[in-house]
Amino acid sequence: MTEQIDKALAREYEAGFVSNVESETFMPGLDEDVIRRISAMKNEPEWMLEWRLSAFREWLEMDEPDWALVDYPKIDFQSISYYSAPKSMKDKPKSLDEVDPELLRTYEKLGIPLIEQQMLAGVAVDAVFDSVSVVTTFREKLEEAGVIFCSISEALHKYPDLVRKYIGSVVPKKDNYYAALNCAVFTDGSFVYIPKGTRCPMELSTYFRINEQNTGQFERTLIVADEGSHVSYLEGCTAPQRDENQLHAAVVELVALDNAEIKYSTVQNWYPGDENGKGGIYNFVTKRGICHTNAKISWTQVETGSSVTWKYPSCILKGDNSVGEFYSVALTRGRQQADTGTKMIHLGKNTKSTIISKGISAGRSNNSYRGLVRMNPGAQGARNYTQCDSLLIGDQCGAHTFPYVESRNPSAIVEHEATTSKVSDEQLFLCRQRGLDPEKAVSMIVNGFCKEVFKELPMEFAVEAGKLLEISLEGSVG
Amino acid sequence: MSEWLESAIARAQGINDWLAPKRANALDLLANSQWPTRKTEAWRYTPLRPVERTQAKVLTDEVNLKPIAIADLSAIELVFVNGKFDPSQLADMLPDGVSIALGRDLDSTKQTDALNAFSTIKPQRHLFGLVNDALAQDVVIVTVAEGVDIAQPIRISSLLSLGAESHTRVQVSLGAGARLTVIEDVQAQGDSLNTAFVEYNVAAKAHLEHYRFALQTGTNVAIGGSHFNLHDHAKMHSSIVAFGSDLSRLDTDIIHAGEYADAKLNAMYLLDNKELFDLHATVEHAMANGTTQENVRGIVADRARAVFNGRIHIHRDAQKTSAELNNRNLLMSDKAEINTKPELEIYADDVKCAHGATVAEIDKQALYYLETRGISRSKAQVMLNFGFINELIDLMPNAALAEWVRPIIRERFAQMDVE
Repeated sequence: MTEQIDKALAREYEAGFVSNVESETFMPGLDEDVIRRISAMKNEPEWMLEWRLSAFREWLEMDEPDWALVDYPKIDFQSISYYSAPKSMKDKPKSLDEVDPELLRTYEKLGIPLIEQQMLAGVAVDAVFDSVSVVTTFREKLEEAGVIFCSISEALHKYPDLVRKYIGSVVPKKDNYYAALNCAVFTDGSFVYIPKGTRCPMELSTYFRINEQNTGQFERTLIVADEGSHVSYLEGCTAPQRDENQLHAAVVELVALDNAEIKYSTVQNWYPGDENGKGGIYNFVTKRGICHTNAKISWTQVETGSSVTWKYPSCILKGDNSVGEFYSVALTRGRQQADTGTKMIHLGKNTKSTIISKGISAGRSNNSYRGLVRMNPGAQGARNYTQCDSLLIGDQCGAHTFPYVESRNPSAIVEHEATTSKVSDEQLFLCRQRGLDPEKAVSMIVNGFCKEVFKELPMEFAVEAGKLLEISLEGSVG
Repeated sequence: MSEWLESAIARAQGINDWLAPKRANALDLLANSQWPTRKTEAWRYTPLRPVERTQAKVLTDEVNLKPIAIADLSAIELVFVNGKFDPSQLADMLPDGVSIALGRDLDSTKQTDALNAFSTIKPQRHLFGLVNDALAQDVVIVTVAEGVDIAQPIRISSLLSLGAESHTRVQVSLGAGARLTVIEDVQAQGDSLNTAFVEYNVAAKAHLEHYRFALQTGTNVAIGGSHFNLHDHAKMHSSIVAFGSDLSRLDTDIIHAGEYADAKLNAMYLLDNKELFDLHATVEHAMANGTTQENVRGIVADRARAVFNGRIHIHRDAQKTSAELNNRNLLMSDKAEINTKPELEIYADDVKCAHGATVAEIDKQALYYLETRGISRSKAQVMLNFGFINELIDLMPNAALAEWVRPIIRERFAQMDVE
């Protein structure tokens, strides 16, 4: 998040292999050599390299998925640079004056402090500021609790057994095209381990994690909650990131062992491209968690960014009595395309899942919910409830629902409901009668529409998510 | 591509008749088609092995098959025997305003009209629809003149003897303001394969009442489609009753090509043994102010598998559309399987659309209630199952058909192996 903090803290452990990274950016292209170099650069153990290479070989045999309702030019994987060092100071805007004023207005409305605005916009800042101490105290507190929270590269050195045991255990190497690519070339990401019976003393956030910058493109996150533990993890930040990278193919794996609980919240606001759909991020993410006995995984996401989104945070409910939840708000506008939803795979007895998905389409965008609920023969007494609501703003957008329901157990109950409508004229009239202008009125109605999801977000995220929707809807009304 | 399809194409290439341009087009499309696999979305849950392995052959011997009689139903019988239209079973005198004839026997103006209309309603994505385009030899054209109300239903029966292969095709056209009831039925004696497709063009203010029965079970492969094109203020009411077989697949397409059209579809499937039934129901709202209501219910027992795909597509111009789809399923055994996917694809904002799908087992409380009244568990189960389906049978406008199908369904429930 904040480069200076990162640098300051990175010093402690970066020595040895990061120094030569500073100036290193690989030439575009992808072959086994590139993967060997990435691995060497990170001084990775041999097994990790082998793992990457076998994923790469699988990837070569795979086809790009084409079933999602999204349309984008074919990606040339040979034109991407698979390793790039943090942006050098001279490539960055010198001051906020050089940053897109549109972006700055958004920051202002979100109430982001100036110093953070500079960070988000990637302005080169030389001053060291107070946050450093915040980060330090934060680290100490976690260590006290025995919680491991570090970059995955660091974890590979410090906790190789833990990483080796769990990496790829939820999302196998050849799970899908983008996941396989990620396995081969991932550069960094987060690793979290919560020891047995521990309740993580604070909400973890990539915001605080060091060495985070510029790992976005092929990020890999692994969270392991040991028996009886609890963790809440926040991903992303609420302000748009001025990032011109085209493809983000991240993988997130969650492991909730017996009686553990993981709450994973995302607010995604990557650059959505301009009004005509030029530029913007392709967000092709594989997120999946596995729940052991009595465990619970809850995904909450607020998606307002990216030009193309392809994302299905899923739960494998393996243990008896385990619980999976998915709460999602996806807002698309301009020419954005989102194909997002979830998969709930019920394997264990009395497993429960809840899916609440709210899609809002405006402008010329397309917003699809795609979900799968599968009751396997062993899912005795399992239960699913799914509700997908779509709201259309304007007559040039699209809202779609593709729910797959597969049941092979008679005692399992699956319920799916979906509705699509526009902002009702009656509601609008009522609000305007009370003196609200149309834009405020719509934003209020949309906020109400999303309430069920917002209430699942941690407090500070919920407030910002509300604001974010308001800003995203600007100019979409009328 | 499969051997079966290759041989079908080879056979079709030998046909040269009035439909030649349409057949050539279908063959072109077929040549460029992939044989569906598990990865083909439209066939994801329905393996085509029974087609690949079929021994069914086109039989040319004369056989005398008659459709089953339905009490209190006096229908105009349009009968195909092993794929061949049997004019001897058609009444000598048809009601005024109705014409039923083989396409090849039409005069040249009418034949040109029929040729132009052929395969314009049935979407080209249906692989076996293309096979039918290419292979259906006896294509029957039914027309109802403007404003004519035909009280007597037309029953289209495809009858197949043991081991027969047949491809039947009927084109139905209702003039403006006309009223007509059509019943589609396939009866096969085992080891058979048939494709049976009907296209309906329903002109402005016309009213079509439609029934499709797919009650043949056992070792039959039945693939078919009913495709409807609705013009301004047209109305249709369709009821589908299906049992499964080795492979039974039905595609329906309802196209709102005019404004203020109204479509109702009630479908029910009752599967037992190792049967498979797959219903793909698509509704295209291309124009504004249309309404659609779909109710689909299924009961799946033993090792049977049901597939339902209900797609509602609202086009950009279809403002003020109201569309609803409801799919409810009961699973009766732990070897049975249901795969359902209600889909909404919406490009217009001022619309009301909803769909719902549920899969569950029979209501335990209701079962308990009946048991406390001294009704045996198995009887109670049959009662509840029957009630669940009977709600849709009650909605059939034709009383004779409802009375005919009710005991058949009751019998099926009585035989179902429930735990």
